[in-house]
Amino acid sequence: MQQNKHFLYQINAKPADMSKRFVSIWFQHLTTDWMIRRQPELKDVVFVFAAPERGRMVVKAVSAAAQERGIQPGMVAADCRTILPSLQVFDDKPERANKLLYALAEWCMRFAPAVAIDGADGLMLDVSGCPHLWGGERQYLKDIIIRLRSFGYHVRVAIADTIGTAWAVCHYGHTTPLIRAGMQTEALLTLPPAALRIEANITERLEKLGLYQIKNFINMPRRALRRRFGPSLLTRLDQALGQEIEVLDPIQPVIPYQERLPCLEPIRTATGIEIALQKLLDTLCERLAKESKGLRCCLFKAWRIDGKIEQIQIGTNRPSRNVTHLFKLLEQKIPLIEPDLGIELFIIEAPVVEDLTSAQDTFWNTINGDNAAIAELLDKITGKLGVHSVHRYLPDEHYWPERSVKVATSLEEQPATEWRTELPRPIHLLHEPEAITVTVAIPDYPPVLFHYKGVPYNVAKADGPERIEQEWFLTEGQYRDYYCIEDDKGARYWLFRLGDYKSGEPKWFMHGFFA
Amino acid sequence: MYTELQVTTNFSFLRGGSHPEELVAQAVTLGHKEIGITDRNTLAGIVRAHTAAKKKGIRIIPGCRLDLLDGPSLLAYPTNKDAYSSLSTLLSEGNLRAEKGACFLYKEDVYKYAKDIKFIVIPPTALNTSFDFNIDFKAALKEYKEALGTSLYLAANRSYLANDNKRLYRLAQLSKEYNIPLVATNDVHYHIPERRELQDVLTCIREKCTIYNAGFRLHQNAERYLKPIKEMQRLFMQYPETIELTQEIVSACQFSLSDLKYIYPEEITTKGRTPQEELTYLAWKMAKEFYGDPIPPKVVSAIEYELKFIKEMDYAPYFLTVYDIVRFAREQHILCQGRGSAANSTICFVLGITSVDPTKFDLLFERFISSARNEPPDIDVDFEHERREEVIQYIYNKYGRDRAAIVATVTQQHEKGAVRDVAKAMGLSVDTVNKLSGSMWELTEEWHKGKHVSDHGFDPNDPHLIKVLNLTEQFIGFPRQLGQHTGGFVITQGKLTELCPILNARMEDRTCIEWNKDDIDALGFLKIDVLALGMLTCIRKAFDLTKEHYNLDLTLANVPQDDPAVYEMICHADTIGVFQIESRAQMSMLPRLKPRCFYDLVIEVAIVRPGPIQGDMVHPYLRRRDGKEKVKYPSKELEEILSKTLGVPLFQEQAMKIAIVAAGFTPAEADELRRSMATFKAKGFVSSLEKKLIDGMMKNGYEKEFAQRIFRQLEGFGSYGFPESHAASFALLVYVSSWIKCYYPDVFATALLNSMPMGFYQPAQIIIDAKKHGVEVRSVDINHSYWDNTLEEIVGNYHAIRLGFRHAKGLKEEEMQLLVAARNDGFTTIHSIMNAGVSITTLEHLADADAFRSIRLDRRQALWHVAALNDRPNGIFTGQSAESVIEKSVELPQMRLSEHVAQDYIATSLSLKAHPVSFVREKLSQCSIVTTKELTGMDNGAYVKVAGLVLVRQRPGTATGICFITLEDETGIANSVVFLKLFDAYRKEILRARLLMIEGTVQKEGEVIHVIARKCHDMSGLLKQLGPITEEPATKNSLAVQPEIFHGGRNFR
Repeated sequence: MQQNKHFLYQINAKPADMSKRFVSIWFQHLTTDWMIRRQPELKDVVFVFAAPERGRMVVKAVSAAAQERGIQPGMVAADCRTILPSLQVFDDKPERANKLLYALAEWCMRFAPAVAIDGADGLMLDVSGCPHLWGGERQYLKDIIIRLRSFGYHVRVAIADTIGTAWAVCHYGHTTPLIRAGMQTEALLTLPPAALRIEANITERLEKLGLYQIKNFINMPRRALRRRFGPSLLTRLDQALGQEIEVLDPIQPVIPYQERLPCLEPIRTATGIEIALQKLLDTLCERLAKESKGLRCCLFKAWRIDGKIEQIQIGTNRPSRNVTHLFKLLEQKIPLIEPDLGIELFIIEAPVVEDLTSAQDTFWNTINGDNAAIAELLDKITGKLGVHSVHRYLPDEHYWPERSVKVATSLEEQPATEWRTELPRPIHLLHEPEAITVTVAIPDYPPVLFHYKGVPYNVAKADGPERIEQEWFLTEGQYRDYYCIEDDKGARYWLFRLGDYKSGEPKWFMHGFFA
Repeated sequence: MYTELQVTTNFSFLRGGSHPEELVAQAVTLGHKEIGITDRNTLAGIVRAHTAAKKKGIRIIPGCRLDLLDGPSLLAYPTNKDAYSSLSTLLSEGNLRAEKGACFLYKEDVYKYAKDIKFIVIPPTALNTSFDFNIDFKAALKEYKEALGTSLYLAANRSYLANDNKRLYRLAQLSKEYNIPLVATNDVHYHIPERRELQDVLTCIREKCTIYNAGFRLHQNAERYLKPIKEMQRLFMQYPETIELTQEIVSACQFSLSDLKYIYPEEITTKGRTPQEELTYLAWKMAKEFYGDPIPPKVVSAIEYELKFIKEMDYAPYFLTVYDIVRFAREQHILCQGRGSAANSTICFVLGITSVDPTKFDLLFERFISSARNEPPDIDVDFEHERREEVIQYIYNKYGRDRAAIVATVTQQHEKGAVRDVAKAMGLSVDTVNKLSGSMWELTEEWHKGKHVSDHGFDPNDPHLIKVLNLTEQFIGFPRQLGQHTGGFVITQGKLTELCPILNARMEDRTCIEWNKDDIDALGFLKIDVLALGMLTCIRKAFDLTKEHYNLDLTLANVPQDDPAVYEMICHADTIGVFQIESRAQMSMLPRLKPRCFYDLVIEVAIVRPGPIQGDMVHPYLRRRDGKEKVKYPSKELEEILSKTLGVPLFQEQAMKIAIVAAGFTPAEADELRRSMATFKAKGFVSSLEKKLIDGMMKNGYEKEFAQRIFRQLEGFGSYGFPESHAASFALLVYVSSWIKCYYPDVFATALLNSMPMGFYQPAQIIIDAKKHGVEVRSVDINHSYWDNTLEEIVGNYHAIRLGFRHAKGLKEEEMQLLVAARNDGFTTIHSIMNAGVSITTLEHLADADAFRSIRLDRRQALWHVAALNDRPNGIFTGQSAESVIEKSVELPQMRLSEHVAQDYIATSLSLKAHPVSFVREKLSQCSIVTTKELTGMDNGAYVKVAGLVLVRQRPGTATGICFITLEDETGIANSVVFLKLFDAYRKEILRARLLMIEGTVQKEGEVIHVIARKCHDMSGLLKQLGPITEEPATKNSLAVQPEIFHGGRNFR
């Protein structure tokens, strides 16, 4: 469909279609300006973004202040530091620029419907028919510049009949950014060949031949140029001049996961709400299925005729688009909705969605450890009893017992390490070790008798010690010597001594119970 | 009694947390009588341990932990010399199978070499779910027992892990079942428990993780330290026999590294003579050849004396080995020159090992060889750097890879690397790590006490940071990897593998041993340094050229000696390109020192070195030489040592002699002092020796100030010392290269350019210098150039130099050989060059270098034609005329001269057309900037502005923070001095400018002119005007990194 549209568009547009106008926007310091926006205290700081490249930190983006001081992308960060010791270097995130541009592109849709991302630091707008709404192109450009600058972005813009010329003037122009219709040739003449968006090696070769400006070669025989510089130079030239069509690839904004259901008559009954919920869930889950997504959080809103909004919300332990399951979860909360005089609009929203492949819908495969059923059970329990009623623990790579387990964030989280089985560890580990008194032989023998919470225990069997040192990079302190103890009734305990007898009288603690 | 037998030192890289010396010292403290050393698949640390143990009066049991690819690890202890040889051979085999740094061993190998070696099996640390060892371990154990019999033991240790008791019980069971005695060990990884933290960090570095995510890769407690005997006895109370059994192994292993005896190779004698007879025979024979009959009486007595001495010390094989290598080089016409303590003897001279005539000195032979230390003599031989590999391969071929190998260098952890590694392991961000490694020097005592603030705001109260710094301090000096010595060879009579394991070096066709120079010294092995020297290549090429073009057959020995014209040239510091004395510091010293004879050159070479400079010996010497100060000696006994250098110690051995004579050091102590300067600088080890030296000298009646100077000088010698004999060998090369430059500047420049890269200067400066001496230099051209620079017909006094293709960027030698081969009567079209097989990219590079002038095309026109070659008729149209022949000619913009010069610099880093600065001279004059030439006419103290391309920036370590900058304009070069404060203020300008303007006062001292900088200004912008004139909008093109046209200047420390 999309392809076809372009096709039609191309046929209809004659090469000399003068109604087309394009705006090129160049963010000269895209990422660094954004950084200053986020951290205004950086405004007067000279800083750059750098990323490792062949073992060295190479500058990827420079702030306006850094550029003034001669720092340029491509330099090695260490070299820059020798020149400018005060230079701050931040890690560059390669995807950051693109994300930013995308957001800016969406924002720019206020100026024109078709906005495309142009390279790593620019936007290209098809503004045909738009500027007159702003009272002319001059006002239009001014508005774009003023608004973007008010965000803190250094921008250059230009408008022309073709993408090529708009880009060239935006990046290399030095007189006016407003190229009037049909004036491409004049605008390009004094610009350097690089303004034509050609490969660096062609530019280099042109410059070596003394062809520093487009006017030097624009009138040369086309065959002579093509033989030496290949077809791309001529294509770019023709595109800039408007003799060849260039197609814009506008961004497609994401549509939020939201479904609406207006009602003819105000709804006031629970059954009515249920029907609405069912319908909305059907359509929402259908879309989720199409996009291989599942929701983790769901909002169901009811707009009352008196203007108030009633709302219920559920969360799931794993992404889901199972209508029955989601319906059951939401259904529990329907009584919370106060219909009052009636509801005229229902909206369902999924603010958090995650990838979910479609295998789950067909079969519930519990044999392979697919615990969808458990997840859905847990959804119900936590829905009723609250989020903190259920915990899941995973092993963590620490010798120190308190740190050897951690709370899992989701049901899907896989343990990063195996549960250790070769060591005796109690089933029930106390949150805080509890002090005990012991009767014991020194230096490192197990106790023969201990008192825990006032009750004496006679030790029948013991194993140990297992010496666990403090993780010196986290906490300082004495090591623990752990013993597994069996009392005369056959119950088993995990005790430890803190430190040794060389440095005073060490304390003893109870830390856990074996089954 | 108990002996620790399982000890991992830091030579098991990134595993052991203590130096072998520390472990030995701790063993002594705890009252151990012996200690076993068992690093992983290596013997690299045992010599250190051995030396340390010998000093402390205990014994080490040399051993090794064999990590096998197909079985449990074994500890191996040779009981006698043969068994040691087997172990070493075994490790060599494993090493040679693997890449450098790895060792692949299998059970079969162990069985093969097991004779007389005691083994201890290391059982797994964990038990399985039934609290037992896995079946495969039991099977392996059974197999070991069958293969190794009564030599096999089983290790038992108690590291306070859970299940220690169960494990010991199971081990005892196994021991009984298979009849393998159980022996106690403690798997020592560090000498004291406090080292656990560093050991954890090492684990992180090894596993490339941070301390926070290292998890179970760390050890759970700090029990792997060297424990007192009593404690071990207590731990194994239930199994006391395991403690006693260690003694069985100890008493069986009586082998000591002292038993290793070095035997010289045999192939060096002929006709059944003994080495001494052979040396005597050769010495007299060659003396006769050189001096004719009769040999001058002075030489006769010198040779007799030296032969007697050599006989006493039994050094004849050593001299013969060196002679053999030198003889080979001579036969292959590889230029070489010996240096080092024994090299400047009469015998070495007649044997051709050195070309420095010893009769020119009055040096006592034994002064070079310290008989007290009984070290083997030291001769280093320099070879042409391009051909040294031939010599190395000759040695390998003659003696075989199993008998000759290169000595290792143990790369030590330096401050910067250490802090980086530790900080990374401690989880600091990359950014902080960089900052930290860059500002280590700021984090001084004062900073710790909070008196001094660091630039990056590091907080002395941050415990994490302090921990990082603490660990770093412990980590500095740890061995990190075994590298290859630059050329130190060990050659033996028997198999080398029987003395020490050998391993593959990183370079192809090289093998080296696990021990370094000091280890070799400690065991008294012979070592010969086969080094590379660029200047010898240059001199060789110069000799070839003089033969070809001037019909002169020169050698190092027959270059006319003591030529006043040569010294005159040197006195005027006209020494660009000359060996050693071409640096800024040397060149400013020359007019002051005014060398007039060979010995003056020796002094010149030695004086501009960190030693004399730090010891503040330069100025007193100059004053005394000029007669401004009376020559006096601090004492009678020092007069003998210092008489040749006017009472000022300049050479390394003079300073050491002073330590011996004046401060009462033993020769060994003096040497240790010098060595320790380089290695232990950070460790505070030096200060005790400093005190000893100064106290000793003051006790003997010397002034404190003099003593301190001697100490500082020794400090400077630590890393860059020059003994007199080295200086003499270098001085000869200085003289020879000066002589060539003086009489044949054409030959000299050509040879130098063909040996590039070397020395201080860029080709551009060499060429400018040659032109100054009246040599015509011609540009690179497709019809005249070869790969190397060549000499063409005589123009004026000298042959003209034709620049070779090697100067043009992007050209490959093989392709240029094709071009030269197809040249015949010369090319007339670009097409014919392409038909010779030269690629289009290469043609473009040739066009860039403006090499088409002989077919009347400048670079632009040539490029225009070359660019169209891509589109030539092919397929069935091959052979038809290309379109470019019929195509209408296109007017290309004319290129200005300045643009040509800029392009020349881009393509060849030099231009014969003009000097770039000449184009901006007008603008410079408007700012009243003078030329460098005008500086000579200025008065001392005059305020000037001078500008030029930055050739060299130098911040020597000896001159605290001072930066020396050499500028070049179209009239010559100027030196300027920038003091620290100014440097900091103008840091950006100084480091970035290609064209730098310096404002300041002229300082004149005789012929030496310096500009003392007051202000600096970056004028590189002017150079942009050399290119095309276009409007320059502040847009994208100024954003991208512009390729730098002019060389940024070289930076030296």
